[in-house]
Amino acid sequence: MRRFVTKRLGYAVLSLFLLSLTIFLLVRVTGDPAALMAEPGASAEQLAAIRKNLGLDQPLWIQYGSFMANFLTGDLGHSFYYNAPVLDLYAARLPYSLLLAAVAMAFSLLIGIPSGILAAVRVGTMWDGAGKVFALLGLSMPSFWIGLVMILFFSVYLGWLPSSGAGTPLHVIMPAFALGWYFAAAHMRLTRSSMLDVLGSEYVKLARLKGLPESLVVAKHAFKNALIPVITLAGINLVIMINVAVVVETVFAWPGIGRLLYEGISFRDFPLVQGIVLLGGSMIVVVNLLVDILYAVVDPRIRLEA
Amino acid sequence: MGGFDGSPAGPKAGGGELRLSRRNAIAGAAAGVGVAMAGSGSAAAGLQGQLTYAVHISLAPTWFDPAETSGLVTPYMLLYAMHDAVAKPMPGSQLAPALAESWSVSPDGRVYDFTLREGVKFHNGEPVTADDVKFSFERYRGSSAAVFKSRVASIEIPDPRHVRTTLKQPWPDFLMFYASTTGAGWIVPRKYAEKVGEDGFKKAPVGAGPYKFVSFNPGVELVLEAFDQYWRKPPQVKRLVLKVIPDESTRLAALKRGEVDIAYSLRGELAEEVVRTEGLTLKPVVIDSPFWLYFPDQWNVKSPWHDVRVRQAAALALDMKAINDALTLGYSRLTNSMFPDSFDFYWQPPPMVYDPDKAKKLLAEAGHPNGFDAGEYFCDISYANLGETVVDNLQAVGIRARLRPSERAAFIQGISDKIYKDIVQIGSGAFGNVATRFQSWIVKGGPYVYGSYPQIDELYAAQAAELDRGRRTEILHKMQKLVHELAVVAPLWQLAFINGQGARVGESSFGKIAGFPYTAPYEDQTLKST
Amino acid sequence: MNMRATAIALPSRIAGFRLGDFPIFPALILGGILFVAIFADWLSPHDPQLGSLRLRFRPPVFQAGGSWEHVLGTDHLGRDVLSRLIYGARVSVVVGFTAVVVAGVLGTVLGIVSGYLGRWVDQVIMRITDTWLALPALTFAIFLAAIVGPSEMNIVIILGAVYWTRYARVVRSEVLSMKEREFVRLAIVAGCSKWTIMRRHILPNVLNSAIVLGTLMLGVVVVAEASLSFLGVGVPPPKPAWGLMLSDGKKGLMVGYWWLTVLPGLCIMLMVLSANLLGDWLRDKLDPQLRQL
Repeated sequence: MRRFVTKRLGYAVLSLFLLSLTIFLLVRVTGDPAALMAEPGASAEQLAAIRKNLGLDQPLWIQYGSFMANFLTGDLGHSFYYNAPVLDLYAARLPYSLLLAAVAMAFSLLIGIPSGILAAVRVGTMWDGAGKVFALLGLSMPSFWIGLVMILFFSVYLGWLPSSGAGTPLHVIMPAFALGWYFAAAHMRLTRSSMLDVLGSEYVKLARLKGLPESLVVAKHAFKNALIPVITLAGINLVIMINVAVVVETVFAWPGIGRLLYEGISFRDFPLVQGIVLLGGSMIVVVNLLVDILYAVVDPRIRLEA
Repeated sequence: MGGFDGSPAGPKAGGGELRLSRRNAIAGAAAGVGVAMAGSGSAAAGLQGQLTYAVHISLAPTWFDPAETSGLVTPYMLLYAMHDAVAKPMPGSQLAPALAESWSVSPDGRVYDFTLREGVKFHNGEPVTADDVKFSFERYRGSSAAVFKSRVASIEIPDPRHVRTTLKQPWPDFLMFYASTTGAGWIVPRKYAEKVGEDGFKKAPVGAGPYKFVSFNPGVELVLEAFDQYWRKPPQVKRLVLKVIPDESTRLAALKRGEVDIAYSLRGELAEEVVRTEGLTLKPVVIDSPFWLYFPDQWNVKSPWHDVRVRQAAALALDMKAINDALTLGYSRLTNSMFPDSFDFYWQPPPMVYDPDKAKKLLAEAGHPNGFDAGEYFCDISYANLGETVVDNLQAVGIRARLRPSERAAFIQGISDKIYKDIVQIGSGAFGNVATRFQSWIVKGGPYVYGSYPQIDELYAAQAAELDRGRRTEILHKMQKLVHELAVVAPLWQLAFINGQGARVGESSFGKIAGFPYTAPYEDQTLKST
Repeated sequence: MNMRATAIALPSRIAGFRLGDFPIFPALILGGILFVAIFADWLSPHDPQLGSLRLRFRPPVFQAGGSWEHVLGTDHLGRDVLSRLIYGARVSVVVGFTAVVVAGVLGTVLGIVSGYLGRWVDQVIMRITDTWLALPALTFAIFLAAIVGPSEMNIVIILGAVYWTRYARVVRSEVLSMKEREFVRLAIVAGCSKWTIMRRHILPNVLNSAIVLGTLMLGVVVVAEASLSFLGVGVPPPKPAWGLMLSDGKKGLMVGYWWLTVLPGLCIMLMVLSANLLGDWLRDKLDPQLRQL
């Protein structure tokens, strides 16, 4: 078991290292932040002075070295645009992203699981199709469109909900729904096929043979077992949601990480982009690692395979 | 007064390094969760005495500090609120006395004496003295810092109310640079700034302006409170809340619902909706941001753009009135010039002409009876609408070009790296005067200049050395005439920055300062009594 | 019924199809979109890129102010919406299909190589896909667009470069389970080289997953193109693409010009929904084991 964990840990570290290198290089290929920060018409000397100020005049490997060294001590660099530590900016916005992702996940499961169960239990019928379509709708419309239509209806026409920003529980409803609906399809599919599997399993066949009513079979035996893979997927999707929410955050002016990252790219704010991507990537790698280890604990075959 | 670049202003040159302990970061995160749960610091817009804004770009802390301004106008949205200057653009004057009640220039043009106003205080109660003026000047590290260093010999403080600045040589544009183009003339308290340091100052700025800093949630919201002892007059509105809402449709929704009182930058059909909605008022402001078409290939003998008739044809093909009506509801100004009309030394060209038949005739004379393939039309993607209509117009007379919009950062880089050809749609809101614009865009050696005309270059050198203002104006007018006759560029319009205001607002201060896109002076704002 | 699908060659699998629950409507819709995309030049009443400012924001014919001249109305530059929808089908189809093919080819090849050759090749490729996944797709696309500039060709490359990892992972796990099967072992014993085995034995059997994934990714790619346009880095104007029309028209939503967004939005929705339903059906038929899709 220890060998397994050590190996997986090694891979995680390697992934992070690759990620840091990739983002470091990628960000520097996007262009020169000095040109954006100086006033139009700045001379070459002025641009050079700005670059020196930002630490961009040093050879690449020194820049990378100090970036990684700082990262390991918890310092994620200093944003060019906001002139504040990246970690501070990230920490200030993370709670909003987490809140949005959590509520969005709730919506996603609320839509996905029931439609998945319905589709599985009534497989092949109209209900199967209806359940599928409803969840798939979230995948079929760009989230900014869903968002704007919701603002138009619920905010401007009906006046029930505030149009943008954060601050009260009412503010989170629309952006969370727009974000969550997108992932509902994946959860619906997984629930459906998982349920189908379980419903066809020996265990359930036995329960039916025993004469138990169908609804009990579904509710008690099938449901719980079918949910396990869905929960796992939900966990991974939660982390992905945080990173993917940029469109929803822009439409609803939600102060999350996605928007911070997008603005960072637009402003060529290298430290901000590097820091956010690396942090986000680390979260995903950590979650994957934990999931892998969890599976290995549960299923011995996996750790022997490694 | 400075202009507006029309899109998110770029970041400013960074200051020193800040190290915040991890504990503070975690505490910040915990507080953040509390904030996210409980609600943000701003009260509803309906509260008496508060004006809420929907701002179109992310507010950066460097804008709290006049020492870091670059040549763009966006930081002044906040500078006018929190700070004050020795002199600054105000209603009716491009250089009105503010913290200085008067000044004089020596006959040889090298010594400037400022007399400061009596009894003016900073937000923390400290008096504004000459020492603070000197400190603010020396502290300035924006992009013109090197220029100042090379031209200013010394600053002396004979007494707490007088400042004497001595230049190495006469510099007619000194006051313009000092007071309006840069933040060097905007005054911050020395004792406080030295005590809290650079980063401390940006976290809790203190100035002499009509509003005090209360709180800032980066990228989200800025809260300001009235400073009752402001020397000019105490502000009537007790609180200002500036919310960042990047999407314009969402800004309009917020305005319609009364969640905000003022929404910046509503374009096209959103502006039309403001006009149609009861209770909302449209507030267009023509800013110092002209747009024009640049032809980088006109110095290349083999290019069709080399012939002045082709360039003139391009200008004649543009139905700017229709475009103006459609995109900016007719509020943009068709000056027919690439220089902002509020700038020093401006010359008014003859009015724009729209004559597609004449354009076709000129093209035929130049050897293109069936038009020609004009290559690519480069522009900033935020102004792709303008590009699309212009390309349409050019197509109608036979100048066939393909639209190539780029993201803002890439576009700016493309211009300064000089990789663009054929046609480039340029809009510039940089501060300065006509001479500085010539230097950037027309005269040999300028950062965005692909080629130049020797007659114009010679005249530029002449005006730079000319001390007599009358003669200098003559030369600069001549230069602008040449630009017009040689069709170096095809002017488009001077952009109108269109805003919306809600029913609660009495006086918004929109448009009071010529060419300034945002609401200022803040102390003149009022709310309607309910 | 839950039979474990055995890895048999493709032709036999096709023979086992039952056309009973074939999703007719989705297939028809996709076919229709393809038809429109191919014959756009003949079907379109106007030039999609030529507009007249005087004719801006005309509503569709069934609303007051509309006319048969522009059946579905005009946009902010006076261009005919119906024509733009028709030509937009072409762009969406081309961008969508090409991106899916690019991602698919890249991902499948790398997935096979990674799964079959194993060891360090596998590790390297897996670490790279991990890294890719840690970079959210949209963000990565924005990056690439910032570097290479937005254009139709570049969007295809960008989307292909972003989404190949989905294929790689799925194909790899298929290959891993396939490695133990009889027919592969027989091939090894028979002396086939690694490359031959990968090409002639493994590849045909992972095609199922690739195809299913392809139909599902089609929807993802089309929606991604719309989101990229919203963020300003999608297919650049003035070319008509549904995502771009949606993004251009979003201001109109607030002011009552509903046809500018609802119509292209409907088109996107129909295309993606159809692709997804078809893909789901394909997966149920070909290989119910593809649960992770």
